[in-house]
Amino acid sequence: MNSKTMFYILKRIGLALLTIWVVITVTFFVMHAVPGGPFMSEKAVSPTAQAALEAKYGLDKPLLEQYGTYLKDIVTKFDFGPSVKQRGRMVIDVIADGMKTSAKLGVIAAAVAGVVGIVLGAWAALRRNKLIDKTIMVITTAFVSMPSFIMGSLLLVLFAITWMVLPANGAAKGGLVLPIITLSLYPMAYITRLTRSSMLDVLGQDYIRTAKAKGVSRAKIIFGHALKNSLIPVITYFGPMLAYIVTGSLVVEKIFAVPGIGRAFVTSITSRDYPMVMGTTIVLAVLIVVMNLVSDILYKVVDPRINFD
Amino acid sequence: MKKILALLLVLAMMLALAACSESTNPTNGGTDTPAKASSIAVCLASEPDTLDPALNSAVDGATMIAHLFSGLAKWAQDDKGNLVIVADTAKELVEGVVNPDGTVTYTYTIRDGAKWSDGKDVTAKDFEFAWQRAASEALGADYGYMFEVVDGYGTDSLNVKAVDDKTLEVTLANAVAYWNELLAFPVYFPVREDVVSDESWATKPETYVCNGAYTITGWEHNSVITMEKNANYVDADKITMDKIEFYLSDDANNMVANFKNGTWQLIDDVPTNEMETLKKEYPEEYVVAGQIGTYYVCWNIGEDILPEGSGLTGNEAELARAEIRSAISLLFDRNYIVEEIGQGGQVPASSFVAMGMTNPDGTQFYKTAGHNDFEGYINVSKDAVESNFNQAIETLKKYYDYDGAKFTNFPTMNYLYNTSEAHKAIGEYLQAQLASIGITMNMENQEWATFLQTRKNGDYSIARNGWVADYNDPICFLDMWITASGNNDVQFGKGEHANVSIYSLDLTDLGYDVKVENGTWAETYDVLIKTIKGCTDNNVRYELMHRAEDLLMSTGCICPIYYYTDTYMISKNVKGFFSNPLGYKYFMYCTIDG
Repeated sequence: MNSKTMFYILKRIGLALLTIWVVITVTFFVMHAVPGGPFMSEKAVSPTAQAALEAKYGLDKPLLEQYGTYLKDIVTKFDFGPSVKQRGRMVIDVIADGMKTSAKLGVIAAAVAGVVGIVLGAWAALRRNKLIDKTIMVITTAFVSMPSFIMGSLLLVLFAITWMVLPANGAAKGGLVLPIITLSLYPMAYITRLTRSSMLDVLGQDYIRTAKAKGVSRAKIIFGHALKNSLIPVITYFGPMLAYIVTGSLVVEKIFAVPGIGRAFVTSITSRDYPMVMGTTIVLAVLIVVMNLVSDILYKVVDPRINFD
Repeated sequence: MKKILALLLVLAMMLALAACSESTNPTNGGTDTPAKASSIAVCLASEPDTLDPALNSAVDGATMIAHLFSGLAKWAQDDKGNLVIVADTAKELVEGVVNPDGTVTYTYTIRDGAKWSDGKDVTAKDFEFAWQRAASEALGADYGYMFEVVDGYGTDSLNVKAVDDKTLEVTLANAVAYWNELLAFPVYFPVREDVVSDESWATKPETYVCNGAYTITGWEHNSVITMEKNANYVDADKITMDKIEFYLSDDANNMVANFKNGTWQLIDDVPTNEMETLKKEYPEEYVVAGQIGTYYVCWNIGEDILPEGSGLTGNEAELARAEIRSAISLLFDRNYIVEEIGQGGQVPASSFVAMGMTNPDGTQFYKTAGHNDFEGYINVSKDAVESNFNQAIETLKKYYDYDGAKFTNFPTMNYLYNTSEAHKAIGEYLQAQLASIGITMNMENQEWATFLQTRKNGDYSIARNGWVADYNDPICFLDMWITASGNNDVQFGKGEHANVSIYSLDLTDLGYDVKVENGTWAETYDVLIKTIKGCTDNNVRYELMHRAEDLLMSTGCICPIYYYTDTYMISKNVKGFFSNPLGYKYFMYCTIDG
């Protein structure tokens, strides 16, 4: 790695930190500017009780002071504070609990999408205009155009109710199978189409023809040259795919009752659980920023022609 | 090549599936076999905010707590299947002794053998501590106000003390008809000081020490809470269900899927758009139970709805507004709303105090309300829809210009509701009804917490509202409308309404020296509620509550729509299940056939 690359990476890390700081600051102030508070309920608590609760969680202090304390606590102690609504639980514990499941769901879905997508795409490209190519293209078009909540509901009805082969509840044994399939279908279909067109493009290049003319084996041409080079666009899709999986999992977790981070994120906003809103937002922001960074660096690794200037 | 690729593909799929599925037979979800006789899996809602009896304010949380804790009293079914309140940790539910100053003292004895799940004895001290804690402002519990009947509420200390380990003495400010029911309410359950000193005690099985029929043996957050029979429970031999799994999900579609495939034996929610189908498909399993609550629409009393140049001011104007609001209430067909929009078996509402509340003689409170030749304040029978509508038009004609089909100078109003398809549909119906006579009502939806704040502040003309009882006494519907109440969304007695003197109150026929003519809200309604709370004669008390509702409904600010129901599905193999009017569900005496 040359010093230029090193500098680029450092610069990107600096920018990433800045982005996260901006996300924290904006979320913090917007969240407090929204009407309603964590102690608002259909059945009102007495004003004195409300004051006591606000004092307990430091919400009675001036907003800037609360902001300062919050930043200090996360930077120096990695302390996200207690949840205001789920009394007795720390934000970090709730997030850790949810992330265990969500990460498993997300990582496996991404892996399935990547592996299956690339294989199918390559296969379709090599069998261009044959029956298998057309079948793959029709199916992937369907998957790309079908939103995950419809796909999820469909799979739920078929596999969990009609055939009863998989559980409908994400927390049960094997309960993640349907959510993973639902979540991976769209990116898988997308990757398939991406790989196919990119592979077709590469297969038409002069150097492939040269290799063929030189008598290089078909396997070596496909795996050594064509596939590797056709993966560059696929890698650029890595960042958007992650964003899709993160946001898509909110929907999928709901359909299949998966105990992931998605629910905590959504309900914390409705219930004005300030520390929980901050915690989940920061975690998701860090995740997306880091993944984009990784995706950019990988891009360079796969394609040395790319210049970081 | 094709073969290699196909092989790779199959391999990748198998790997991926194997990675996330550790089970060979996942059909039954969390239960290994389909519901053994001693185990039941249910789903009420998503993870409760808390399982601390003092802090909980949710119905699903209360159901779980009722399985985990034992208070002085509990809900039970008698031999005939009727719901009754019986002694639980108390030896018996004693009568109170009236003191010379009008306060009432109850002395309870704790049953022998009452133990905590860790084996320690349950003492009167535990109750004393729990009650002081729950009522304290430092804790800030939503239901802290449930102790307002106890002498000393609002000061540093409630008038409750443990005379010795076995004897608990509590003094109420005056006799309270529903006291035994309060004793069966979670906020009155005991907790132990050393246990709750750890603030996270109620979030994990290891630290959750309780004294009820069950203990928590497993808690996967947002996923499932597992309860197993508590061997230390004083009545453990009477508990027939060994294990209950409370699955935590709030997605009604997912619940139905898990019910249909037999994984869960009870689900507490069904999607509105599937209600009709499910009712037909599962006639035995689909249950619509009564719930003491009213869905209604409230007006902001400060909203001026008189036409420009009406010439009415002050008290006259307020009387006119009350008449107009009451007339608008008559425009709506509540049968249409429950049958076509709600579809959940709701009952058209003719009063604010909900169906399910009973008079001392056992008759329904709402049926004897209103002093009309029909039940309640509004005739909600299907035959009356047209006459109600015409009556409303005649009233409105007194105040607005009418061109034979429409009113032309009714000011534009706003309808505030919280974001939800169901609330929106009802709002749109109301909007269409008003539009048909020329009244424009714009719809504004807000997200829940914002909505609560806006409505509380009175920044609206008309708002969607609802109230569900906390205990089986009409006062919990009536005391929320006193001037100082935190739930006084209508803004009675606030702002300009503080000086409106059009209300009358005469209680001399009931033996009270109270007679007010053309008084303010504070001089009439607030006084009436205070009188009810101090009244010890139950028959008089109910008469007073009827009068309070009369006064409330005369303002026209409350437009009842329907009485809530609790729709759930329960597998027909489950026997011995019951629920109470507050919506708590009891599984401890269940057995499973087949």
